[in-house]
Formats: sequence, structure tokens, C-alpha cells
Amino acid sequence: MPLGLLKYGLSREYPAPRYFRDCTQPKKSYDAVIIGGGGHGLAAAYYLAKDFGITNVAVLEKGYIGGGNTGRNTTIVRSNYLTPEGVNFYDASVKMYEDLSEELDLNLFYSTRGHFTLAHTESAMRTMRWRAEVNKHVGVESYVVGPDEISKACPQLDIQCSGQAPILGALYHAPGSVARHDAVAWGYAKEADRMGVEIFQMTEVTGIDVKSGKVVGVNTNKGYIETNRVLSAVAGFTPRITDMVDVETPIVIHPLQACVSEPMKPWLDTILVSGSLHVYVSQSSRGELVMGSSLDPYEVHSTRSSLDFVEGLTTHITDMFPFLSNVKVVRQWAGMADITPDFAPIMGKTPVEGFYLDAGWGTWGFKATPISGKTMAETIARDMAPDLIKPFRLSRFEDYELTGEKGAASVGH
Amino acid sequence: MSSRIAKKRGEWINRDKPLTFEYEGQQVQGYEGDTISSALWANGVKVLGRSFKYHRARGILSFANHDVNALMTDGEDTNIRADVWPVSNGMKLEAVNTDGGVIKDKNKYIDYLSPFLPVGFYYKTFYKPKRMFPFWEDKIRKAAGLGKVNFNYPRHIKPKRYAHCDVLIIGAGASGLSAALEAAEQGFSVILVDENRQIGGSLTYDLAGDPAATDTLSTLQAAVESQANIRVIIDAYAGGYYGDNLVPIVEKSGITKVRAQTVIVAAGVFEQPPVFRYNDLPGVMLGSAAQRLVHRYAVKPFNKGVVVTANDHGYRTALDLASVGVEVVAVIDMRRDGAAQDITQKVKDKGIAVHKGSCIYEAVAAGDKLGVKEVVVCPYDETTAEADTSRSVRLACDGVAMSAGWAPAAALLYQAGTKMRYDDSIQQFVPAQLPESVFAAGKVNGVFELKARMQDGRRAAAEAMNYMGKVVAVDSVKQSLSSSPSHPYPIVNHPKGKNFVDFDEDIQVKDFINAAKEGFDNIELMKRFTTVGMGPSQGKHSNMNAIRILARIRQLPVEKIGTTTARPFFHPTPIGHLGGRGFHPHRYTAMHQWHVDNGGEMFEAGIWMRPGFYTPAGVKLSAADAVQQEALAVREKVGMIDGSTLGKIEVFGPDAAAFLERFYTGKFAGQKVGESRIAMLLDEAGVMLDDGIAVRMADDQFYVSTNSSNAATVYREMQRNVQLWKMQVTLVNLTGAMAAMTVAGPASRSVVEQLTDIDVSAAAMPDGAFRTGKVAGVDARLMRVSFVSDLAFEIHVPYKAGLHVWNAVMEAGKAFGIRPFGTDAQRLLRLEMGHHLISHDTDGLTNPFEAHSDSLVAMDKPFFIGQRSLKILAKKPLNKKLTTFVLDQGFNGELPNECNLVIDSANNISGRVTSISYSRYLNRHIGFAFVPPEQTNDGARFQIRTDSGAMVSATACNAPFFHLLES
Amino acid sequence: MKLLQCPINGIRPLSEFTYGGEYRDMPDPDTCTDKEWAAYVHYRNGAPGLKKEWWYHGPSGTWFIAERDTMTDKVSRTYIAGQEEKQ
Ligand SMILES: Cc1cc2nc3c(=O)[nH]c(=O)nc-3n(C[C@H](O)[C@H](O)[C@H](O)COP(=O)(O)OP(=O)(O)OC[C@H]3O[C@@H](n4cnc5c(N)ncnc54)[C@H](O)[C@@H]3O)c2cc1C
Repeated sequence: MPLGLLKYGLSREYPAPRYFRDCTQPKKSYDAVIIGGGGHGLAAAYYLAKDFGITNVAVLEKGYIGGGNTGRNTTIVRSNYLTPEGVNFYDASVKMYEDLSEELDLNLFYSTRGHFTLAHTESAMRTMRWRAEVNKHVGVESYVVGPDEISKACPQLDIQCSGQAPILGALYHAPGSVARHDAVAWGYAKEADRMGVEIFQMTEVTGIDVKSGKVVGVNTNKGYIETNRVLSAVAGFTPRITDMVDVETPIVIHPLQACVSEPMKPWLDTILVSGSLHVYVSQSSRGELVMGSSLDPYEVHSTRSSLDFVEGLTTHITDMFPFLSNVKVVRQWAGMADITPDFAPIMGKTPVEGFYLDAGWGTWGFKATPISGKTMAETIARDMAPDLIKPFRLSRFEDYELTGEKGAASVGH
Repeated sequence: MSSRIAKKRGEWINRDKPLTFEYEGQQVQGYEGDTISSALWANGVKVLGRSFKYHRARGILSFANHDVNALMTDGEDTNIRADVWPVSNGMKLEAVNTDGGVIKDKNKYIDYLSPFLPVGFYYKTFYKPKRMFPFWEDKIRKAAGLGKVNFNYPRHIKPKRYAHCDVLIIGAGASGLSAALEAAEQGFSVILVDENRQIGGSLTYDLAGDPAATDTLSTLQAAVESQANIRVIIDAYAGGYYGDNLVPIVEKSGITKVRAQTVIVAAGVFEQPPVFRYNDLPGVMLGSAAQRLVHRYAVKPFNKGVVVTANDHGYRTALDLASVGVEVVAVIDMRRDGAAQDITQKVKDKGIAVHKGSCIYEAVAAGDKLGVKEVVVCPYDETTAEADTSRSVRLACDGVAMSAGWAPAAALLYQAGTKMRYDDSIQQFVPAQLPESVFAAGKVNGVFELKARMQDGRRAAAEAMNYMGKVVAVDSVKQSLSSSPSHPYPIVNHPKGKNFVDFDEDIQVKDFINAAKEGFDNIELMKRFTTVGMGPSQGKHSNMNAIRILARIRQLPVEKIGTTTARPFFHPTPIGHLGGRGFHPHRYTAMHQWHVDNGGEMFEAGIWMRPGFYTPAGVKLSAADAVQQEALAVREKVGMIDGSTLGKIEVFGPDAAAFLERFYTGKFAGQKVGESRIAMLLDEAGVMLDDGIAVRMADDQFYVSTNSSNAATVYREMQRNVQLWKMQVTLVNLTGAMAAMTVAGPASRSVVEQLTDIDVSAAAMPDGAFRTGKVAGVDARLMRVSFVSDLAFEIHVPYKAGLHVWNAVMEAGKAFGIRPFGTDAQRLLRLEMGHHLISHDTDGLTNPFEAHSDSLVAMDKPFFIGQRSLKILAKKPLNKKLTTFVLDQGFNGELPNECNLVIDSANNISGRVTSISYSRYLNRHIGFAFVPPEQTNDGARFQIRTDSGAMVSATACNAPFFHLLES
Repeated sequence: MKLLQCPINGIRPLSEFTYGGEYRDMPDPDTCTDKEWAAYVHYRNGAPGLKKEWWYHGPSGTWFIAERDTMTDKVSRTYIAGQEEKQ
């Protein structure tokens, strides 16, 4: 029993303070307004306050904090991407995550379990090697392993996949981790609030006021707010916000679904992803199997679930683990993923002065929460994007300089 | 000691079929028809499980699968829901998640630590110092989780069935049965589903000591049975609602996917517990659970009990208990005004004391918290939820039945998009706006009186029929309830807590209060922070009280708090039910069996099975040797490969040439009949997607091949553009209809000419020429190609003739030493020739300029897909380019692999190897790599880093590589 | 949406169809600027609303246009491209 819990048993008054204030009515103006109280928006607010002393900041969230994709994702954190730009960027995020529980003074259950991307075909093996080589080059611990090593880490896995798609090898990525998604949002909210940032829930941005190409304010369901700097960090709602300022992007919205099983005693210690079988799975600290698949095939702006998704997913999960036949799926859900053509994010400045974009996080943005918060805070504070995120600028599409992460991001979020 | 009572009318057990099973080492008797829990309860076994967090002993709560107090394993299956799972002879059961048995569970000490485990305690500690987290995490992981998975469980694939109907009705209680009759009588087909093993819903147990309900049920049942239009599926639940009225019905034997024109949800309500200290002791159960035990299983819930209630249902329960001889000590009514006069009188007539305005302040545990021995009853203030402990009374008892109200079983309604509102008159959420084609009836719709429910079922069916176009009268339903079926706040505060709201997750009232203090004071945040409703029963018995508590904390009406979203599944659903057989369909070429018979090592190439190489029977050959020998045969003699997997599309019509001009990068307008040209396809961004060959067969007819893996997509894109460009073109996909094979090597002409009437001489049939004629007596299309060797013939014949022609070529080639070759040798051969493979040597962003394919793009054409983007790209400097390369003569170090990186002098990534192979013919290692453009010049040197980190020098080298042999 | 109306083959389950993206008018490649072309190639109208989309019925090989509300996932009508008026 850790000592930190003693006070809860011993004190008369409940000893824990509010994580964040109950802000209801925004002020007339702020130095910066952040749209979206997901992990990204809250992290940006936190680093604006912490790194740049900019605390006169409002985070506007139309629902409740963490209620978007932050609270729906399957929490895989990794940096084994394909492009050096991507690997560097996500590696910076992984390093931040490793110390984040202490920094935010909240247990994020950041749990490093190792991550296997299974390859069932020769061409998948080639991609694994490609990623391994780029990862190694950048200093990230990833390497190609054979079936024996996979079996050692996960003896329950049927390497033959019921004869359907035998596993030839995998990309092993030692830093692969999972975390408690809600806690990440709450932790950033708590610490940002402590430094003076105001977080408004049930507060929806309905318009952005642009005069002569510059942001001057935002309209909300709680009135008009003056500000010269607006960050959009709204994931699946991005096109609705960018339409408010007439900024064009390649983002389209596809649902991404996931499900969990009943809790069971721990047996799956690693994170497994199979591109060929379109599934990934890990076991949470509650004992549930957290399972997901690839994107839904067409655009929908809703979080409805489909039966096709669970049918396909469970079929493939039993290819890998035949004995799960009688384990039960408790719940399925979906989020709206903001997809870019090159499976890399869009971060930085836009043609509208004072309007900053943090989007295109698709199925892979949870892992980037700390680093995107930090780099977007810097972008807002200095009105200039740091080098780390330049490859992700919006103008890359006009410049035909796409980033090419498709090979690493399609199933293995 | 048996609590089984004498045979009852309507009971669900078969007394002629006794059976025996084992629970925690103890022999137990039951009957066929018993659930595990009912049989155990009948035998006086009341500790059915341990709770998830505090390891408290638990017994029956809802007895309806609305809680997971009783989860068991038989060693095979885990997390068996004992309340609803039938017993069978010889079962050997144990409760899950105990250490040392359910009674002695070593983890029960955790209950004493609970003051130190505040809500969300795991967020508050275990992370400082960081390195200690793995230690704690391991402990937490082991403590969490319910049952253990059986790794030997066989893969069970349950069949999927499909059904259609006009009206799908979920719930076969009074309203559902009435709805079914109404619709069926009008000629509509009905599927009626109920999760219980018998129809009737609450008519099977909620009798208030009066058999009238049983008579009603018999009448309804007989009417339903006589209706041919009604298909009844029992022991089955509707798993969820999906778009366009798709509802999976989950039975033990598998899933039926029902697609219905209309859906009527008549799923009733879940009983909600009043919340008081120790409301979770074994023996304390919901009123409806007690009624189910009595009427379905003929089991006395307890001998001497107390009923605590906050609605009239407790009185009905008391009457049912009394009717089977349970001594009901008192009805404790939390309402100041008590119940209606008539029912109060009925209870009093049974000699049962009624205490209005009172509550159970706490239940008192019998030894080791394994049961209840008495309750502490106090006056209760409904407005403050406080008990007046100064006036407490203790009542001895061995059980408590509790009723406080209901929550609608509205999950499917929510999933269908129903907007719900809170009805203050019944303190329940009810549908406010239903989606079209979805209807609600009965208690889930807020209608409680039996007669009204039956009318409501008919009303819903009438509305459904009107939706389907049959005009029938819709009678509105009125009910005159004397009091609200649900209490607005059935909570009793207690300074010591352990007044449970969520039994799955061991969440008590103070957890909500404290969560709110920490800022988690809206329903979604509260749910996530406290985990209320996140356990396996998904809030069925807990969400409503959680909402009420939060409303009180926030001093807001319940309506303003709203509900959390109810996601599928209604009950947890086995993976083996949901998943099907993994279909990984393969296609076989006409020559497939020949390959297998002749030692072909078959592998999956997209959807096709292809031979990688051949190891003929009786020959000892490594894969590498086989590949080299096959390649050598092509270089020196002749070889043949099965190319049937190529996409083959015929393009006809007056606009055929114009179409290809727009579709592909090259020129086709001036192409002569009998000639072939490379057909390269780009996307709109100028990225290379495919390359194949287009043959002109007539002025208005082309025969186009595509890469094997792109056959379907290229055909599809052609179809789309024909429509979009409004061109007079007809497309025929011949991919599966035609077999194809390539005969390659210096002797290929000699082999082919024996079999055909076509003049295949060099003069008559130069490279790229296309002819039709007979090959081995079969109508064939013959093409001179040069992908794997300077001299080669591609033969296309109808699928059925494929094997015949293949055999004929093999036979004719014997004298020349012909060998079949597989895809591995093909890869090597094309590499020797210097041909890249799209999507092997290129990636998802490669444009033709980077792949040395400038000559294939006719930028001077008016239009082709990707052209405009290429014009933009042409203005930009290239930063990488594909080159062919060789390793040094006699190289014998660690061989680079495909995807090893090219590293520049500043130790930066400057490219990567996309292909590499040893060629025995050349006795050199050759390959393709992306390198900076300046390094593509013949003779340029660059460095490749191998898997182990060694640097290997490579030299850019023109291809075909055969010039290397000359030097 | 779980069912879709193919203008040739009638109502079929969604699993028989492939989504082909939004129907977009191509700018004139000869007159548009590089920027306009790049925008056409890469940018999408990602906001929810009623959209004209390409759909492909696999078993019969039919492309057609569906007008679909991407928020509610309801299809209001389907037709072969260019034959809108005939419907
Ligand atoms: C099922 C699923 C699984 C995933 N798995 C992974 C994974 O394993 N690993 C990984 O790295 N990533 C994963 N992702 C992706 C990841 O969840 C997201 O990229 C990430 O959470 C985005 O965070 P965010 O803060 O940008 O957006 P969100 O958390 O979505 O927050 C955006 C917020 O903006 C609010 N908002 C929108 N419009 C307005 C408005 N007009 N005014 C005010 N507020 C507004 C929304 O309500 C929302 O709360 C997954 C996603 C899903 C759906």
C-alpha cells in the first residue's frame, strides 16, 4: 500500500482538490483561444503556460474534456514510423510520455509493453525491415524478429494463424506502450488550470472572426471572444472549423472503431498488430482486451458502430488466438478520425494569420499528444513552427511534398 | 438445507430430471431447467462470487443478468453468468477471481483497505518514483481481471443465420406479445425475441400473490402459438441495433442477423437497487429477483425477510414472498406517504408490518460478511436522503428484498438514435422522439399497468403497420398510476459508506461525491473517473442511480444530467459467435495442379496462389539453387512461367484508342494493329500505380494487361473513367477467363514454332509484335515480350485450354531443356534486364521522373491522368532517383537486404535498396536503389548499410547488366 | 446505412459496394494555375453535408453516383453519372 493513499483513509475532509475549476462564462478576450479540449488542445494550453508564460488562455470544449477521440482511442504509443521525420517526431513524444506522470502529478498508467507489428507476407517483411532500418538510424529501438521471438513474447499466439496467414516475422519495437487516455487529458487540464488557463466545457465555437486575413475573435454559444490567436485542435471536427476560415485541407473523416472484451486475468503482455489481418490488440490494466481494426471504408460524421466491424475483427482475432472463441465482447464504439492522404498530421501556420492548425491525427494522434502540444505552443507563441514539425506543414500538399507514412500507419495506429 | 418449495404452476424446472453438479468442491442437487444460481440457492448456497475490487462476498442481486455478482468457471469456460446459465449434470464450478475459494478468498482483506482506496486511487499514486511503476502495475494487473482464460479452448465457429421480417419485436412480455398479435393478425410477419427461456416477461414472476397474471399469460401464449405469422425466438437477446434495422439475435447456438422493416422495442425495465450500507450482502436482492426465484424456480429467497421499497413493487414482492411461506417481517417503505390503500391493506392482511417513511440504514452482516443477520431500520427523510439514526430499530432476518424503481432497457433505442426525455411523473427516461420505423412499447415506453401495456403493444404495432403503408387505427394509451413506479432518490447516506451503487465495480455513494469534488461533475467525466457502468453489466443496475446522485450533487434536474451512451452489446457476446470462419479466398490458375505436382512451392500473391520456385520430386535442391537454375535455364536455354495472374482487359469501341490516350501515359492513337506498347497508369498526383502492355488487336479493339495485384483496381478505374468521360468504349475483364504463360530464353522461338501456325521468325515477329492464331491447336494470342529475356513469347489462351497448352509447350521444350520457373526467378531475370517492379521498387509517392520512366510519359499529349501534376513536378528538383547497381566483383561480405538504407558521407539517409539479388549468370550482386540523382550515373559509388550495420559499397551501373560479362 | 440502391441492380447490402470518394469537377488543366490544380488533387471538402459520391457495385461492375448526407449516412438518390435527369 503506497503511503500516498494514507491520507484518504485518515483525513475527515476529502483531501483531494478539484482537478480544474468549474469555468462557465468566458471573459471578453484572451491572448489565445484553443478550440477543442482533447489531449492536444489541453496539452497546447499547458505548454503555452509552462514554456512561454502565456496563461491568459481559454480552452473551449463543446462537450466535456477528453470526450472526443482522446477518450475513444486504444492508446498505443510508439515511434516505429517509416519516415525519418515521423520517427524523430514521435520519438520525441515517447520520451515526453515516459516522464509525463511525474510531470503532471497523475498516474497515466504509461505502460511500456513492447510492440510487435506482425508480417504475414514477404512484402510486409520488407516494410518491417525498412521501418527497422529508419528507426535504428534515428536511434529508436526497433528490429525485425522471427516467429520464435514472437512466440517467446506471446506463447499463446498461433503463429500459423489457423493456417490462414502464417506469421513470417515482425517488427519489434521495445518502447511500444499503452496509457490511460482519459488521464492524459485530465492531467494536462489539471496542470494548465493550475497555471491559470481557463477550461470551458459545453462551450462550442460557432464561427471565427477574420478581418483582413487575420483572426480577431471567435463566436461561441456563450458569446463573442476577442483574440488574435486561435488554435484548432478538434480532430474529427477539423473540416467544420477550417471552413469557418476558408482554409482548405485534404482532411476527410472516416469512423474508426474499437471494442473491448470482458476483463480477464492478465495473459497478453505485449501489444500486437497485424496489418494483413487488420487487427491489433493489447490487454489493459483492467484485464480487458482492447481491440481495433482499420478505418471504416467511407466518410461518415458520426460515431455509430457497425456489426461488420466486430464480425471482421473477431474473425481475425480468432485466427490469431483460437481460444478466444468464448471470451465475450462487452462494448464497441467509434471515433471520427481526421485522415490525410499521407497518413501524417497537419501542424502549424495557415494562410490565415493567427489561425493555427493541429489536425490530421487520424488513427495515430494519441501518441503525439505531448509533443504536438509542445510544438504547437511554440508555434503559437513565436508565430513560427519549430523544425520538428515543418515536414507536417499544410503547404506540403500544394508543394507536392507529402510525408509518406501510409506504410506505417494504416492499421497499427 | 433445501429452500425448494412445492411444485408451482408455471415453474421452469423439470422435477422429473434431477441432476448433480459441484460448486467449490461441494455436491449440489438441482433440476433440469435450473440456472446455476437457482440450484445453488435452493441448496442454501448463497455466496456465489467475490466482488471485483474489494472481494466482498456476493449472492443473487438481479438474478436477471443485470449484474455480475455470480461469475463462475468450469475450467473450460470462464466468466459463466451463473444467474442465467443452465445447470447440467456433472458440472464442476468455481467462482472466478478468488484466491483459495469463494468462502476463504485470501483477497478479502482488501475490503478493509477500502478507506485507503478512494475513487480513482490508481491515478493518485504508484508513479513516484517512475521506476516503481512496473512493480505496482504488475500487482494491479494481477488483481484486476475476472476469470482466467483457457488457452486450450477450441475455436468454435458458430453459424450465422439470416432472417427478414416485417416487424421485429424485442421482448416477449405483455406489451411485446400484444404487439406481435396485433401485427400478425393483420398479416405481417413477426419475429419475437426474448432472452428468457420462456415468454411472458414479468407476467412469469410479478404476480403479487395473485394467479390472475398467469391466466393472462396463458391466454396470450395460446394466441401467439396459434399465429403462423409469429416466429418466437427465446433464450436469445438482441445484441444491438445497427443501421437500416439490422439486429443480431444472439442465441447459444449462434447469431441470426435479422433485417426488419420495423422494430418494436418492448424490452421492459431493469430493476434498480435502493442504496444503503451493505446492500450487497448475500441474501440482499432485488424484489424482482426474489419473485423470479419463487415463481420460476420454486425457491424461497430466504426464510425470514424484510422488504425495503420506494415504490409499490415492494408490496407486490412481499405478497409473492408471503404466498410461498416466507416470513416477511416488514415492508419498509422509504416514501413518506407509503403505497396505495388497497395494496397496503393486502400486505397488512398477511400480517406484515408496514413502516412508511423508513429506510434500511444498513444491513448487518452475519459471520465473515457471508450473509445478512439483521437490518437497522430508521425513519427516512426523502428530501435529504438522511436516516434518523436516533430512532433505529433492528429487525432480525436472513434476507432482504429491495425495490426502488426501474431504468428503461433502452439500449437499442439509443443506438437507433432515439431522443429520450425524463418523465417526472414516473421518474424515468422515456422515448421523446423515435427514428422512423423504430417503436417502443410497454415499460420501456413508460407504460406500467398491465392492461395499458397490452394496449401499448397494440398501439406500437399499429404505428409500425402505418409506417409500412397499411392504414390502421392507432388508439392512444392511458394509464392511471397511483404512484410513480420509480423513486427519484432511493439513496440512504451513511458515514461509513459501503452503500453500493455499482456492484460490478464496487462503487459507493461517496465515490460519486468525491469524484465531483475533484471536478468530475458531468455524467461522462463521472462515469470515466468512477468507472460506473463500465463493468461487464454496463450499468444496467447502476447508471440510473449514478445519474440521480449526480443530479443531486449538482442540484440540477435529472433531465439536465442526461444519460451516457449505450453501446452494443446488450449483453457481452462471445467472440466465436461474432466472428465467422476466416475467409481468405484464393484463386487458382488453370495450371495450378501442375505446379503442385511438379514441386512448385506455392505462396500467396495477392489473391492468387503462385509457385515461387520448383523443387522437382526426388531432387535435393536449396531454394536459392532452384531459383538460380531456373534463371539460368532462361538465359541459356528456355523456361516457362505461368502468367495467368496478369490482369487482362479488353477495350472495344470507336473511342478505344482515345480512351487509352487519356487513361495511360503513353500514346496509342497511332499504334498499329498487331503492335504492343507499355501502358503506365498514374494517379492524379502523378504517382505510379501500374504498368502493363496494351496490344492493338483492331482499330477499335485493344487488349491490355496489368500487374497481377492491380487487375481489379485498374479495371474499376477504367470503368469509372469510361462513364465520367462519356466515351464509347466497352470493357471486358478477361483476367479469370484467360490463361497466360511466357516462354522465355534463346530457345523459346524453337519451342513455340513447333506448336503454332503463326510465323514467329525474327523478321515476321519482332519484339512487341502481337499475333493471333493457333497454338497447340487452340485459339491463342501470341506476343513477343522482353520483360525477363530478350527473346520471349507470351501465350494467352482460354482458361480451359491453359493446362493443355502448358503441357504441349513443356513437351515441345523437352528437347531444349525447358524448365518451369517461378516468381522468384522472374524477379531475378527482370532485374538482370533492368526492369523495375511498381510497388516493389517504387512506393506510394514515386513519380515517373524518379523511376527513370520519363520516356513512357507523353507530355505532349493533350491529357492523361496525372499529366497536370507531372507538369508541376517537372519544375521541381528531384531529390531521389531509382538506379540499378552492382556490388563489387567477388563480394562476399554480409549481403545487404532489400530496404537496407543508402547512407551518405554525413551519415544521413540518402536512399534505400529496393531490390537486390545474386545472379549466378552474371556472377554478381545486382539491384535497384533509390539514391540522390547525381549518384545514378554509371560508375557512381554509394554506401549501403546492412542489417548489422556494416557498410557495403555499391556502384551505379547501367542495365541490362549483361555488359558486365563482356568486361 | 447498411443497404444501398444500385441504379441498375436495386437494393443490395453495402458489402457489395466500394466507395469511390466524392464526385468532384476537375478544373481545366490547360487554364488552371498550379496552385488550383494542386488544390484539386489534394484538398477535399471534408465538412459534413449532402455530397455527390462515386460508388461501385462490385458483382455487376457498375459505377454510379449516390447523393448522401455524410452526417446521417442517408442516401437520398442514386444514378449513373451523367444520367441524373433521367431519374
Ligand atoms: C477507435 C480509435 C482508436 C485509436 N487508437 C489510437 C492509438 O492506438 N494510438 C494513437 O496514437 N492514436 C489513436 N487514435 C487516434 C487518437 O485518438 C486521436 O488522433 C487523438 O486522440 C486526437 O486528439 P485531439 O485532442 O486532437 O482530438 P479529440 O480528443 O477528438 O479532441 C477534439 C475536441 O474538440 C472538440 N470540438 C470539436 N469541435 C468543436 C467546436 N466547434 N468548439 C469546441 N470544441 C470542439 C470535440 O468535442 C473534442 O473533444 C485512435 C482513434 C480512434 C477513434
